Amino acid sequence: MMETLLSGVEQLFTLGTMVSMLLGVIAGVIAAAIPGFTITMAIVLTLPLTFTMAPLQGVATMLAVYMGGYSGGLISAALLGIPGTPSAVATTFDAFPMARSGQPGRALALGIWSSFFGALVSAVILIIAAPPLAMVAVKLGAWEYFSLIIFAMTVVASLVGKSMLKGLMTGLLGLFIATVGADPMMGVARFTFGSDLLADGFPFLVVLIGMFAVSQLLQEVEDAEQIKQGKRLINADVSFNPLTAMRETLAYPVNLLRSSLVGVFIGAVPGAGGSIANLLAYDQARRASPTPERFGTGTPEGVIASESGNSATSGGGLIPMIALGIPGSAVDAVLMASLMVHGIGVGPRLILDHGDLVYGMFTAMLVAAAMVLVVCLFSMRFFLRVTDIPRSIIVPVVLVCCVIGAFALNNRVTDIYLLLGVGVIGYVLSKLEYPLAPLVLGVILGPIAETNLRRALMTDEDWTLFFTRPISLILLVLAVVSVALAIRHRLRQRHAPAT
Amino acid sequence: MTHSPRPAGREGAVETTASQANARAHIVLNAALAMLFVGLFAQSASLPSSMWEPLGAGSFPQLVLGALIVINLAIIVQEAKRYPRLAAPPHGLVRDWLWRHRLAMGVLGLFALFSLAVPVLGFPLSALAFLLLVQILLGARRPRSLIIALVIAGVFSFGLDWLFRDVFVISLPRGPLG
Repeated sequence: MMETLLSGVEQLFTLGTMVSMLLGVIAGVIAAAIPGFTITMAIVLTLPLTFTMAPLQGVATMLAVYMGGYSGGLISAALLGIPGTPSAVATTFDAFPMARSGQPGRALALGIWSSFFGALVSAVILIIAAPPLAMVAVKLGAWEYFSLIIFAMTVVASLVGKSMLKGLMTGLLGLFIATVGADPMMGVARFTFGSDLLADGFPFLVVLIGMFAVSQLLQEVEDAEQIKQGKRLINADVSFNPLTAMRETLAYPVNLLRSSLVGVFIGAVPGAGGSIANLLAYDQARRASPTPERFGTGTPEGVIASESGNSATSGGGLIPMIALGIPGSAVDAVLMASLMVHGIGVGPRLILDHGDLVYGMFTAMLVAAAMVLVVCLFSMRFFLRVTDIPRSIIVPVVLVCCVIGAFALNNRVTDIYLLLGVGVIGYVLSKLEYPLAPLVLGVILGPIAETNLRRALMTDEDWTLFFTRPISLILLVLAVVSVALAIRHRLRQRHAPAT
Repeated sequence: MTHSPRPAGREGAVETTASQANARAHIVLNAALAMLFVGLFAQSASLPSSMWEPLGAGSFPQLVLGALIVINLAIIVQEAKRYPRLAAPPHGLVRDWLWRHRLAMGVLGLFALFSLAVPVLGFPLSALAFLLLVQILLGARRPRSLIIALVIAGVFSFGLDWLFRDVFVISLPRGPLG
């Protein structure tokens, strides 16, 4: 094993690979910082460039884009309150209020360090436990997937804000929005009313950009006086100290480790991914915190949990791919494609036949994580300059980027109209104090929930299997406990004497 | 969770006095939504079932829509109960609200026009006009700020179009520019 590992490391540490990885990291960070430009899109655009590279150099470059992307989503989430990628939704909850309260540098630095440690933990777990974890992940059948989604839906309880009813309504609205378009099992058109606009349903990314970006940007221009005075997004000193941020991140070791483990596990489950891990890690941190009421107001615990959680999925996603040849996400599928282009079959024999390549990939993850850290810390001052730009400029520019992001997803003009519609709905809902995060969660989880519920019942009509299969039962019990704890917490808050 | 914390100021005071109007807005919105969901529930019942599975195309939406109807009704009841205890809205509240939100409404209107113009005028021209008009709306009126606005509009319309077309090989709608 040591010989194979050293061979992989030797192949990786060439000047060409290091340069292409560095460029990949920079490209990933910039791409993910633009709302609407996803990591998957960045990876797909990188794929053709890797055809002429050696297999390890190609995969390492794409891994660099991947890792850079997870950290890049943090930038617009923290500075603009707009998740740059779906995996940065929960990052907006605390990083944005922290930045708005005059600490944008601290918010970014905490996020960057958390991303780094999350990626580090996931790479270590990947190296040690890829085969056994992959075996657990693929044992999950449709029953377990459905129960996992039910458990993930209980996160809504943490995102509902002041009113449980309003949170539930937007969560369910998200589930409904996800049903528009072709039925996932039979392909029957649902709720399209014969319109081309709705024929393909609501693309998740369009809902995400519309809900968060458009409504947030409209709220930025509500105060005419501030606009007249040329007020910036954040009127504060943007200085930061990277070492202080590192110490602050490490001051929450349990949160960091728990969130990273959540990220690795969710990453290892095919079809889940960074967007779920980001929210679940945040939710778990909030529940475990002695001061859960501070979540959502700019607490470092929230930033650390969400960012370490989403970055850790990068290693988790590689587990089923390397051990079993099953891509855990669209990004992993593109990584697989890049290996197959070079004639390397991906499957259980990959680690036996191309051990040097696999260990080279593991090492590339660690190197990419370090590169992301260095690139982000060095470029942070540049990104923080964004906060100097007056709202009169940043608002229309970001809106134009949103339109490009919505269009480029499927090259469809109708997605721009959907963006407008979703943006208006998001603005109205936010003005009436409906939380938007549960809606986005519903849109993410809806199709997975429906597909697996129907698949499970198609396999066996017996409903009791959800309760008799051990992993499914554990997940459902966790869901019930999670809801009970959330209700108890709300009741305590309600009965607590006002101070 | 709203992620737009704002300092409590004049606007906050208006919102407090306007809470009866707020409750009314909720009742109207949730009643409209409840009716919409009832209609959709009825429509989902007509979706075909499958001979291969116990659940058909309409089962999952029915489950979700049923829950949505119940929750919307619960919100209406909650707001209706609260309504008599709330302060009456001051005269001209809607007009005041619209005036306070005039810039947001203006930007939203221009964004709607931009979205509709993209397939007709193409991305570069419509983005140029949108960027320029929004910056003027938000305060770029002096010659220096107008020049800056023009440069920004040019860079983020024609510049982005070039970047996506020639570098990322993603062709944005071109309109009359072909």
